[in-house]
Amino acid sequence: MTAVTDLPVPQARLTAGAQAALITVIVGAVCLALEGVAPWLVKWPTAWELPATQWVGAFLDWFLNGIKPAMRLFSDLMTYPMDAANYALGNTPWPILIGIVTALGWYLGGLPMAALGFIGLSFVLASGYWAESMNTLALVAVSVPVALIMGGAIGILANEVPRVKVFVQAVLDIMQTVPTFAYLTPLLLLFGFGPVVGLIASAIYAAPPMARNVMLGLERVESEIKEAAIMSGGTRFQQLFQVEIPAATTQIMVGVNQCLMAALSMVIIAAVIGGFNDIGWEVLLTMRKAQFGESLMAGLVIVVFAVVIDRMSGTLATERKRYDKRVVWAVLGFAVLFTAAFWAWLPNPSDLTVLDPMAGAIDSSLTAFTQANGPWLDALKNNSLFYVLLPLRIGLDQAVLPFTWGFQWTPSMSWGLFAAGTVVALLMAWRGHLTGGLVALILIGMLETGIANLPWPFVLTGAAALGWVAGGWRLAALSVGLLCTILVSGLWERALLSLYLSGAAVFSCAVLGGLIGLASAVWKPVWTIVRPICDMLQTIPLFVFLIPVLMVFQIGEFSAFLAICAYAIVPMIRYTRHGLVNTPEEMMEAAISSGATEWQIMRDVRAPYAAPTILLGLNQTILYAFAMLVIAALIGTTGLGQSIYLALGQADVGLGISAGAAMAILALIADRMVQGFAEERRKALGL
Amino acid sequence: MKKLSVSLLAIAVAGSAHAADMGAVDEPIKLAINEWTGQHVTTHVAGEMLKAAGYNVEYVTAGMMNQFQALADGDIDATLEIWSSNVSDEYAKKVDEGTVVEIGDLGLNAKEGIAYPAHVADLCPGLPAWEALKECAQVFATAETLPGGRLVDYPADWGTPGADRMTGLELPFKAVPAGSEGALIAELRASTERKSPLLITFWQPHWAMSAYDVQFVELPAGEEACFNDPSWGPNPNAINDCDFSPSRIFKAGWSGMADKWPAAYEILTNYQLAVEDQQPMMGAIDVDGGAVEEVVATWMAENEGKWRPVVDAATQ
Repeated sequence: MTAVTDLPVPQARLTAGAQAALITVIVGAVCLALEGVAPWLVKWPTAWELPATQWVGAFLDWFLNGIKPAMRLFSDLMTYPMDAANYALGNTPWPILIGIVTALGWYLGGLPMAALGFIGLSFVLASGYWAESMNTLALVAVSVPVALIMGGAIGILANEVPRVKVFVQAVLDIMQTVPTFAYLTPLLLLFGFGPVVGLIASAIYAAPPMARNVMLGLERVESEIKEAAIMSGGTRFQQLFQVEIPAATTQIMVGVNQCLMAALSMVIIAAVIGGFNDIGWEVLLTMRKAQFGESLMAGLVIVVFAVVIDRMSGTLATERKRYDKRVVWAVLGFAVLFTAAFWAWLPNPSDLTVLDPMAGAIDSSLTAFTQANGPWLDALKNNSLFYVLLPLRIGLDQAVLPFTWGFQWTPSMSWGLFAAGTVVALLMAWRGHLTGGLVALILIGMLETGIANLPWPFVLTGAAALGWVAGGWRLAALSVGLLCTILVSGLWERALLSLYLSGAAVFSCAVLGGLIGLASAVWKPVWTIVRPICDMLQTIPLFVFLIPVLMVFQIGEFSAFLAICAYAIVPMIRYTRHGLVNTPEEMMEAAISSGATEWQIMRDVRAPYAAPTILLGLNQTILYAFAMLVIAALIGTTGLGQSIYLALGQADVGLGISAGAAMAILALIADRMVQGFAEERRKALGL
Repeated sequence: MKKLSVSLLAIAVAGSAHAADMGAVDEPIKLAINEWTGQHVTTHVAGEMLKAAGYNVEYVTAGMMNQFQALADGDIDATLEIWSSNVSDEYAKKVDEGTVVEIGDLGLNAKEGIAYPAHVADLCPGLPAWEALKECAQVFATAETLPGGRLVDYPADWGTPGADRMTGLELPFKAVPAGSEGALIAELRASTERKSPLLITFWQPHWAMSAYDVQFVELPAGEEACFNDPSWGPNPNAINDCDFSPSRIFKAGWSGMADKWPAAYEILTNYQLAVEDQQPMMGAIDVDGGAVEEVVATWMAENEGKWRPVVDAATQ
């Protein structure tokens, strides 16, 4: 280890990055060297843990019981719109509802949109889940207005009182990153049992996009418009509601669209509590029986709703053109006539089984697939585990065994590896890449130890170093402070396991998603195939995919890893493509006229220009991976996701909230760091 | 209402000590529907019995782990199939609070154990005797568990009975928690379809027992001494070196139920359902695709002798 610490470094050339990396290397080396003497350096002693989860639990119990009566009142009030929506949707004959959606589609987007609405709802009808779907729609119909009002109010508040903006941003981040499962128990306590809890959970999750878009929209209202409003002598209230908000409509509509999608994606969470026979409950029931075909069908119903709602509300945000109202009345009239004429013969939608054979076929093809491809799939899983995931988690020194790699890892191999790393670092430093060399050395060290066994001082220093480089000392202090709360709360080991699993998934998504995004940007047909797959992966309840993954790869980390990747890869693909496709014309023309080849343009013009967008995609991928950790715990991972389920099962408010907070902390730190780097790139590009 | 007056009359005339007051017949009694088919059968049979007694019944879907708050608040009036092996701490809390009361055993004779799909006996000859597992742990080994074999255990929030057995019996197996019931079933299904080895912690009555021909490993009987006294059983140094302790399946209700619907309370308290009755109904639903309501209605019509006396005892 002395070789590392005595690294000859010319002081004059130390950049911020190099200093940070050097400190991290030194701390890591010291920890490794003292491992035998002071085990507390590697593993935070249990005796130093504070019973934080119990404190949190006790405080919350007291707090929740205090505000419970008010919340119960709210809950009672909400049952009225809920019952009304349920009654209206449940008792409208299905031809009329299909007619209304088709007519609305026509009004908003002409024939294609009308066709989409008609085909989509016909699929729902044919699936036999009509009644359940209407319950789901009723939930969305009430939770979305709640979320819109909540989000709108937060957005306007932040706009009117600039001092609270930073605080509001933090609250919005928390609302989006703390997994919903973590606060289901307190919600149950507060609001009582039933669909209202699901409604509130989905409103909490769906409000932030609305708030963010309201803030953004109001910020972007041009100053001339604002000044005109001031000069015409309106009160602040009038200025806001009569001038600024109308001027920001387009952006606010984007918020409405995002809010709808988020509310729909929470449907399944509402079902976990129950009290309400909705489509999410069907997904859970079929999932419990491992019936892939049926659960896919039920999941697709949610996808259909998501696509119809997304496209229709999307036109609200983008297009001003509206279509002929006479057609609307004609469609509605036809629907009413149809209902009246065939009233006696209308089938009960719950008895329709048109799609059952399809579900059966999907199920049996899954069986055939696992039977036919068992051996090589097993080989794929074993090799990924032996050579990638296990070394990442527990390090080469524990993962390399005669059973796995064919030989036993020895301490001298560790020394050899460190020596090789040092040589690489020295070589790179000599070539002028000191920071790169140090980072390479750090990565080799991490591979030897394994993420789950990293000494805590090293993790803290590393986070501080990264934070400092990405966003200055404030980010460094924030990262260390937040990580320390996890450390003392006793959730550290689980947090490292979560970090390892989502880290591995994020890395794979970044590489693979980046490549797919690149392919989609360069070659159009690829995008035509990839796009609908992305849409489906983002809206279908993720539980559905756990079944085939489990059938093929069994319970364990590899399955969880794949499930996380399936979800988290989507933003990486989208943003990479988006960034690469949208290079400004002038830059392209300049490059083409200077005689650059296609490949040179990609490397020297498009890629650097797209870098901030791609980093934003990476940021989203990180957040998605953390969100998916909780779902992946259903496959049987360890880590924070499992703690959240344990807490949900045991109704342990303290543990649930603490584990959820730990997860949010990891996601927030990663988010801030990536944003810091993206900001730096943007400045470098002069954007 | 007619039934009410009849039963009131019966009380008045016969002065029977057993007949209970009907209580608030106009208000529906809300029964919890949890996530598994057996519970649906249990609950629907009970619901039909209450209806036969003259009550309104409403079935409310409720997550098994999250239903106790609702039960304490009276948002749900009874839940009829709680497994002692798989009940959240919250239940005990609510019972201590006095908001939830236990209302007797369901009488469902459950068995939990270490199990395997039938074809695995070919891969590990000597099964179902537990000693055979010592020799063929290698057969069950996977990447995560090498060099030991893999035992798929219950989801972590149900406890770790499988892991306890492996430690107690010193079997070279590593227990992997499943995460969810769906994951357990997916494992069983994949193993049966691929004829691959599988050792799993499982229970009956469960529809998958017959669907995937699941067999239990024969372990030393789970006597009380085994769980306290290390010297008991094949391993002189450990507890848990035996089968699972028999799990109890019971019912629970909202504490206000006895006052609000005395007769219904009595019916639900005395209600019992046997494995031999429940398991065929589960099969008719999960394997043959029947609807719960119809399957239960058929059974009720054919087995009136099994449930009618309980209803009559409370109402006449």
